[in-house]
Amino acid sequence: MNRLFKWLGLSKHDALKRNRQFFYDLNWNKPLEDYDFVVFDTELTGLDPRRDEIVSIGAVKVRNLRIALGRNFFCYAQPNQPLPKNSTLIHNITPSQIVDAPPLQDILPDFVDFIHGAVVVGHFVSIDLSFLNRATRDHMGGKIKNPIVDTMKMAQYYEDHRHRHYYEDAASNLSFSLNGLAKKYGLPLFEKHDALEDAMQTAYLFLFLIKRFRNLGISTLRDLFRGQKMAAFSSDQDSYTA
Amino acid sequence: MPQKDDSHKADPEAVREFLKSVTPFNELEDQVLERISKRMELDFFEKGSLILEQNVSQLAHLFLIFRGAVRINLIDSDNKSILQDVRGEGSQFGALSIIRGVKSLFSVEAIEDTFCYLLEKDIFLDLLKRNSSFAGHLWEKFSSDVMDSAYEELRSNKLEPRSEEGLRLFSSTVKDIIKRPLEVISASDTIQSAAHLMSERGVGSVLVRDHKDEIVGIITDNDLRTKVVSKGLSSQAPASDAMSAPIKSIPSDTLCFDALITMMNFETHHLVIREGNEIIGVVSTHDIMVDQGISPISLYREIVSQTEIEGLYPLSEATTLIVRKLITEGAKANDVARMITALNDHIVNRVLILLEKQVGPPPYPYCWLLMGSEGRQEQTFKTDQDNALIYETPPEDWDHVKEAKLYFRRFGNLAIQHIEACGYPLCKGEIMASNPKWRKPFAVWRNYFDRWMSAPEPQAVLHATIFFDFRPGHGHVKLAERLRDYVVIQAANRALFLMHLARDCMATKTPLSFFRGFLVEKDGEHKDRLDIKTRGLTPFVDFARIMALRNGLRETNTLARLRQLGEAGLIPTELYTETVEAYEFQTQIRLVHQLRMLESGQQPDNYIHPSELTDIEKQTLKGAFGVIGRIQGYVKTEFRVLE
Repeated sequence: MNRLFKWLGLSKHDALKRNRQFFYDLNWNKPLEDYDFVVFDTELTGLDPRRDEIVSIGAVKVRNLRIALGRNFFCYAQPNQPLPKNSTLIHNITPSQIVDAPPLQDILPDFVDFIHGAVVVGHFVSIDLSFLNRATRDHMGGKIKNPIVDTMKMAQYYEDHRHRHYYEDAASNLSFSLNGLAKKYGLPLFEKHDALEDAMQTAYLFLFLIKRFRNLGISTLRDLFRGQKMAAFSSDQDSYTA
Repeated sequence: MPQKDDSHKADPEAVREFLKSVTPFNELEDQVLERISKRMELDFFEKGSLILEQNVSQLAHLFLIFRGAVRINLIDSDNKSILQDVRGEGSQFGALSIIRGVKSLFSVEAIEDTFCYLLEKDIFLDLLKRNSSFAGHLWEKFSSDVMDSAYEELRSNKLEPRSEEGLRLFSSTVKDIIKRPLEVISASDTIQSAAHLMSERGVGSVLVRDHKDEIVGIITDNDLRTKVVSKGLSSQAPASDAMSAPIKSIPSDTLCFDALITMMNFETHHLVIREGNEIIGVVSTHDIMVDQGISPISLYREIVSQTEIEGLYPLSEATTLIVRKLITEGAKANDVARMITALNDHIVNRVLILLEKQVGPPPYPYCWLLMGSEGRQEQTFKTDQDNALIYETPPEDWDHVKEAKLYFRRFGNLAIQHIEACGYPLCKGEIMASNPKWRKPFAVWRNYFDRWMSAPEPQAVLHATIFFDFRPGHGHVKLAERLRDYVVIQAANRALFLMHLARDCMATKTPLSFFRGFLVEKDGEHKDRLDIKTRGLTPFVDFARIMALRNGLRETNTLARLRQLGEAGLIPTELYTETVEAYEFQTQIRLVHQLRMLESGQQPDNYIHPSELTDIEKQTLKGAFGVIGRIQGYVKTEFRVLE
């Protein structure tokens, strides 16, 4: 059925159509502060994109390279299968918390609206992205076309650069986990408890890195994506390098 | 439906928590906080970046520092940047510029990686309008910030006055206040001609030169009154009969403050000003007072004019007022301490002089000894008495010894009681002239010091450090000087003694785990407070003492010791500079702390709560504490201390 949508090129959800059109027209040469970014994180029932599902999405808006604190997105989603016990241990979402939650397909269009026009950012984002795109493909007839940036790759690039230029001890033992990086860079720490807090933690890391990048000569979106160093691709993602 | 109602659950809640910890936002109701927290933004500024540029940046937001620190600079007309303040977590900046509706009044630079919450200008202005207690607290904060920068002025090294008023005592030199040409008469001229010259020129004094053209004395109004008129000296007698001589001279670049101290110490009202070998003028207490408009000297006058001991009792209270004034004039803590010491000395001296009249003259010359902080001239407000008494060793027969013992017992006991009544509490360790152990003839004192310096017992040595800072007070100063001679010659060669002192220097732990964990007292009534005397200042005092003893310096004041050591190259220049800076800064912090306590009616102590300190003070204190580690490292190598 979904393949049919795609083949016909007709029933794509309006939000996705606007999404596609926006990024088709995107000017990549503006300074970074002129773009909107949405930093997001998801909680999953497991790590297998074919079987597991998204149970929560948290997202934070960054405008003018500042976190807009009141303009977050947060929701729980009711999975089609009962919540596996071992996933509760990871993300602390209990079955009772999602008992009244709507199914993901009801939420997705709002989320696609929320990220409209924004560069999407996440930490080790390819996993979240593959779940997200499977969901939009299943429920909205296509994938999102937003440029995607991975803060983990940004951090790797930043560390490589530091070691190349300052001969600092190569941090072979550096953890590129979200918490490890936040600690290393002295960022305010959030207690992990939901997708929004993780998104917020990622947003802090993103701000820290992107402001430093401007000193490394990375000042436009095109710079950020040059050589695809920071871009993220899920297994079935199209390329969005300009 | 997506749960959009919940969408603010995570972070704005954190913002609210943060706002509740920040004045004046803690004044606002929860609903208001919730509303504004949703409208706020979070920005990040990397270390070294310019957040606001003076006269250029438009303020669109109020900045609240969530993590990190900024430096506020004022760029003056010469394009020099003057540090106004350092602000840290929980502080704000930009409010004043927003309220005045102008471009940024200051330049603001991030000195650490800094996260700021941004509150839109219009929301902030709206809060001010609608919320009177919010606005009130903000104004309070502004004025206390102004106070803080006033204190900041005090410790600035610059002595140039910022305005016409204030700072003059510490900025003007005696040369600046010479107003009249020098009037000189010859020693052989008559007193009448001196008086005539004085009234003709309208001056209060003339200098007297001898036949070799050297200035040998001075005749003042006071001399004419007391020596000529009241004693019936002939007006035709030579001027040399009426003059006060010898006259003390001071270099022309002496600060008025120091001139005042010199006058008080030498109990004179006039000093001759010397430039090179040339006498260029005279300065009187009156000149300085006129220049100042205020007078610590008036208190001094009141002290020396008392004829009854009881009349001295209330006078020490006045020192507080004087000190307050000195501080607002920009005195550094060390100067203030010297002034307090000078005034306290005078009160004690006066007590002893009047007491001698009461109980009769001493059978043997004696000298009052000042110990500890009094000996180092580092008194802050009222400190406990630390004193002793030394007298000329009587001949070795029982009658003489007994006579001396009985007299000085009575004298010592009475003196201590009177001094206590003047407002100086008794020493808990009983280091006072009322204790027979510390009221001894010269020979015994010399043996005491000899024993301390050869003692293999570290405890005995440490107990005695306070005595090594002794200084002569009232009486036969030579006795104390002879004792100092002995200490100076002996101490430098007593390796074991110095070793014990060095070990003690290294015993104090540096309170370095600073303000995210100020090393504060863990239990008891001073919980969460830092004992700035024991933890901060004592290592510097100990360091100056051990180096002075090792190098045979007579000086007892910590700063003067350091200065002599530094100038003679006896300690490395860098260490010298940073110890002086760190020590001065901490004494300043302590002084301000104690003054605040006094003014709020509490007994001054040395326990500082981190919240009393501005961010700039915290930062600087952190640096000062860092110096302690370097002192200890130096002492360790110099004295080869084994751990």
